[in-house]
Amino acid sequence: MTPKKVQRKEKEEPRIGVYVCHCGLNIGGVVDCARVAEFAAGLPGVILSKDNLYTCSEPGQELIKADIKEHRLNRVVVASCTPRLHEPTFRAACEDAGLNPYLFEMANIREHCSWVHLHDKEAATEKAKDLVRMAVARSKLLAAQEPLEVPVTRKALVIGGGVAGIQAALDLADSGYKVYLIEKDPSIGGRMAQIDKTFPTMDCSICILAPKMSEAGRHPNIELLTLSEIEGVEGYVGNFTVQVRKKARFVTDSCTACGDCVKVCPQVAPDEFNAGLSMRRAIYMSFAQAVPSTYQIDMDLCLNKHGIIACDKCFQACQRQCVDYSQQDQILTLDVGTIIVATGVDVYDPTPLTEFGYRKFPNVITSLEFERLINAGGPSGGNLIRPSDQKIPKTVAFLQCIGSRSKRSNIYCSNICCMNTIKDALLIKEHWPETKILVFYIDIRAFGKGFEDLFQRARREGVSFIRGVPGEIIEDPETNSLTLIGEDTLLSQLYRYEVDMAILSVGIEPRKDSPVIQRLLNLSCAADGFFLEAHPKLRPVDTPTGGIFLAGCAEGPKDIKDSVTQASAAASRANILMAQGKVIVEAITAVVDETLCQGCGMCVKVCPYSTIREDPETKIAQVTQASCAGCGTCVAECPFSAITQRHFTDAQIFAQIDAITEEAPETKAVAFCCNWCSYAGADFAGVSRMQYPTPIRIIRTMCSGRISTEFIEYAFRRGAAAVLVSGCHIGDCHYINANHQTEKRVNRVWKKMERLGLDKNRLQLAWISAAEGNLFARKMKEIDEIIQGVTPEEIEKTKQILVPKKKGKGEGTEPKE
Amino acid sequence: MLKSIWELFNKEDLFECYQCARCTGSCPAAMVMKCYGPRETLLRCLNLGQEAVINDERVWYCTTCHVCEDRCPQEINISELLTAIFNLAAQRGNLPEKIKFGVDLIAKTGRSLIVNEKVLKDRQKLSLPPLDPLNIDEIEGILKKTGLNDAIELS
Amino acid sequence: MKYAFFLGCVIPVKYPGFEKATREVMKVLDIELVDLPFSCCPAPTNMKLAHYDTWLALAARNLCLAEEAGLSILAMCNGCINTLKEANLILKEDLQRRNQVNLALEGSGHCFNGTIEVKHLLDVLYKEIGLERIAEKVQHPLDGIRIGCHYGCHLYRPPRLMYPDELSEAASYVPVSMDQILTVLGAQPTQYSRKFLCCGSALGTNIDAQAANEITREKLQHMKKHRIEAVSVACPSCFSQFDRGQMMLERKHHDGFNLPTLYISQLLGLAFGLDRPNLGLGDHRISLQPILERVGRSS
Repeated sequence: MTPKKVQRKEKEEPRIGVYVCHCGLNIGGVVDCARVAEFAAGLPGVILSKDNLYTCSEPGQELIKADIKEHRLNRVVVASCTPRLHEPTFRAACEDAGLNPYLFEMANIREHCSWVHLHDKEAATEKAKDLVRMAVARSKLLAAQEPLEVPVTRKALVIGGGVAGIQAALDLADSGYKVYLIEKDPSIGGRMAQIDKTFPTMDCSICILAPKMSEAGRHPNIELLTLSEIEGVEGYVGNFTVQVRKKARFVTDSCTACGDCVKVCPQVAPDEFNAGLSMRRAIYMSFAQAVPSTYQIDMDLCLNKHGIIACDKCFQACQRQCVDYSQQDQILTLDVGTIIVATGVDVYDPTPLTEFGYRKFPNVITSLEFERLINAGGPSGGNLIRPSDQKIPKTVAFLQCIGSRSKRSNIYCSNICCMNTIKDALLIKEHWPETKILVFYIDIRAFGKGFEDLFQRARREGVSFIRGVPGEIIEDPETNSLTLIGEDTLLSQLYRYEVDMAILSVGIEPRKDSPVIQRLLNLSCAADGFFLEAHPKLRPVDTPTGGIFLAGCAEGPKDIKDSVTQASAAASRANILMAQGKVIVEAITAVVDETLCQGCGMCVKVCPYSTIREDPETKIAQVTQASCAGCGTCVAECPFSAITQRHFTDAQIFAQIDAITEEAPETKAVAFCCNWCSYAGADFAGVSRMQYPTPIRIIRTMCSGRISTEFIEYAFRRGAAAVLVSGCHIGDCHYINANHQTEKRVNRVWKKMERLGLDKNRLQLAWISAAEGNLFARKMKEIDEIIQGVTPEEIEKTKQILVPKKKGKGEGTEPKE
Repeated sequence: MLKSIWELFNKEDLFECYQCARCTGSCPAAMVMKCYGPRETLLRCLNLGQEAVINDERVWYCTTCHVCEDRCPQEINISELLTAIFNLAAQRGNLPEKIKFGVDLIAKTGRSLIVNEKVLKDRQKLSLPPLDPLNIDEIEGILKKTGLNDAIELS
Repeated sequence: MKYAFFLGCVIPVKYPGFEKATREVMKVLDIELVDLPFSCCPAPTNMKLAHYDTWLALAARNLCLAEEAGLSILAMCNGCINTLKEANLILKEDLQRRNQVNLALEGSGHCFNGTIEVKHLLDVLYKEIGLERIAEKVQHPLDGIRIGCHYGCHLYRPPRLMYPDELSEAASYVPVSMDQILTVLGAQPTQYSRKFLCCGSALGTNIDAQAANEITREKLQHMKKHRIEAVSVACPSCFSQFDRGQMMLERKHHDGFNLPTLYISQLLGLAFGLDRPNLGLGDHRISLQPILERVGRSS
């Protein structure tokens, strides 16, 4: 794919049509629309200018189409509501009339003008004129653009073979796509395979999982790669190339799982699948229902680990001669179009909480260990026994929130532990009804379907719920029984309960190796370490990187049902891409002018998507168009103006600044707002009719990362009284973390202003979310006060001394005044 | 003068408490005395205000062992909250006699125990250096500046 | 190695024998101790509770005396450690507090600069001198006596102030120094339930001695259950609880614990074979006889 050359200059003269919308009385009741239209008619390049009642209505659109044809308009400007609402409508109308949709421009005179200045009609009309002037100025520099179509490879990769990964793989495979299912353990199944029963239905976990596991194992469209890990990922949406290390198993596929080899193996180690509660051999199969049903050798444990055959007992025992000590790791290269990350979770290790005595007292165990103990396939054959004496306990305590909701471990609620404990308590009651069960909790969170019922059932069956987690567990040195010391907060009295066994209901946490996956796939993580979704409400299974989706606990703690739901959702999202077979990339991507690029690498550093790379020989930057999200951060960073963002060019933005500062700049503030948060926040202030002063003029960019220091300085040099740079809150950026660059740049300008003795208060930086209309309005009032305080001398001084730094030749150099 | 415990302790920090009771569950004083324990003390401060605790002589049942803070899953600096409560209580005249005596003695001699003839003799027997009186003017000068006498009524 | 020797109030007045033992043991280990005109630390169980600003300023004065002598502080009492370590940390980190305190110190001619460290005897032994050098000096190993260590809360709590650089994964701290030292002395440090429970001292001295003793009793019961023969402490207040408090408990409950309690320097002195009169063994209410017989130092 070669990026399209930007059209530098339109050859034909601009013929602009301007339409000022009354929006009934919404705009017309405040702004004198006829006067605005009359004003627009006098602007250079404007061929016709009209005001009408509802521009978005059918007749309104028809009028535009007719004018385009009749007056040979090559630009259309509509002054009405926010482009976030009707830009697609008018673009479509233009396209209908044969005008490239990228030649359409909007001025927002409703949300940003009439609705927020209801009581100052004169000032609102003046502001509307400015907004139209800005739109007209920008429209002149717009260029026709063609969106890019990228083909999508119709194969998917699913990372992680837990229940989420299995579900996603099966859904995609059933839809007819080839799926690679990668699992780092010897078998698929994940955490669910370790659990005895599931809540709230009390189904046997492996009984419902095993059929799905074998289905995944034999599905013609699924290629199962166990003992495999991702080592490298390249490419972009629809076109990923993935390197996978398939570790040597030392047992070939012809293994029938007869188990003859195990009997002769001399080496033992704690069994991971049974949470270390039993031992396994060096040659082993993790559990009876394992898929693939093939043994493997743990070479770290095997006597042959140094490549010398010191023991060949298993080889001798195997009639089918499946043992192969010389097997090597394989590196596979897979081409896939979509990737689903279902890497799951680790379980919190409570050893650091010394007051509970885990690992010190044998009868203090974790909830995962409990699952293996109560499971018929576990080390005790399903008998709940005390590790100290193998006796069945008469009194059992569960301690909730261990390793969750705590600054000492993980601050979040692990979501599953309450219900898991209730389920476990009922399981004990089912097998040994006489057992006394105490649950020490802080809050019982039984929020899901059927959860509250189960909680009530546990109480009716005699499980005691005591509010207040013990401060300490102590052990009787002779009996190994435990005493729990704590406070019952509901009775406000201290307790001492003697129990035979205590189960720490441990939380779940991100995989220790998830930073590796994060780096390889260029994902982002939330503060808690789980992978971040593209949008918490509306794109909950997408990642910010196109073509990569999340399923299961990798995104956050969740139960089996939610994991499966999310897996199907992720599969469906991946399915959409692959079914279409292509992706459309909006024509707002960055393109490099190779004649100007000096190969400094600044753009490579700031790109949140790692989508720019340097040509190894020429060092010239290359932007992969398909994975460029169009934030413009690289454009703002380039010291040589060698990168342009299509549809958001430097020239267009400079033209908007010029338009704002053409008249009485000392009374105005130039604001740069990002499309997703702060511009939307300003829209929200408008929708909520929050009134604020009129001096602000907003320039919209996709991301605040697009704002270069030149824009800010240029606005000041043009005599603007104040400048506002505004974006999403740090951590909420819609382009991963591009707003970090915004912060850095504003800091740079602040420092420069300080150095030059200018009032740096005139440059404001504000993080405003789409929901914070009130914050936006408050900021506008603040800025108005700042403007009142700025003296003509200060403005004059700024014009004189805030000189531009020398730049390379390119579009980004400011226009000649 | 101290008017509110929130001058010494950031109230915001208390919102992180979800009343798990690991503090009171670990508290040695709560084990042997009828008292609120850290959990309830904290909740009272938060919901009812400082007046709900500072006039109560039971606030002083604390052994200052700080185990509450050590066990708090939310890392709330409970020991600092308690110090703030004690300081304000002391200022309101809610101060145990024995503490008042100790504070008074430090203010007068620089030491919290009385050094009598017997002590000096015992030390001499072990050929330990004598415990000379301290420069009390210096200490008094410091106490004047920190306002000990303005805050607490000493004998 | 040379330290400013912080005596505190309780040891030099009530238990001068501990001071003597410490001075003698440090002589053996080539540690020079310098006496300075320190005041009360002041205690975290009285002055700090009554008036924080005064507590901080007086602590700062003590720290300044050591700073002026160019020496870090070695203290024998957990109360002193708690005050001096916390004050030193706060004043080093919080410049606003430091300025306030220095203003209060102005007339006295002192100025806090934050140039020294404050260390408990246990940490000097364990981290500075090291177990190897201690082991070299052992002449009368402690015969595998089952000793229960009681560290005392003020030594290590709150961990964020006492051991900010050594916090565990759960941001806590579990001390091990005394157990390790006793091992090289030939004793058998023995774990027991509620090892890290408070002795109850502050409740006793400030409010209710009987109630405080009940806390100590809880500990003694667990020690007995774990067949512990003697208690080792690193603080005079804890000592008083286990020794004098145990005597009072015996009058009330007749538990018959009879657990001799020793200050860590006394155990070091015994193992090093130092002269008995120099170890202050006469100040104990619970007889040390069984222990002394075990290590062959009964006469």
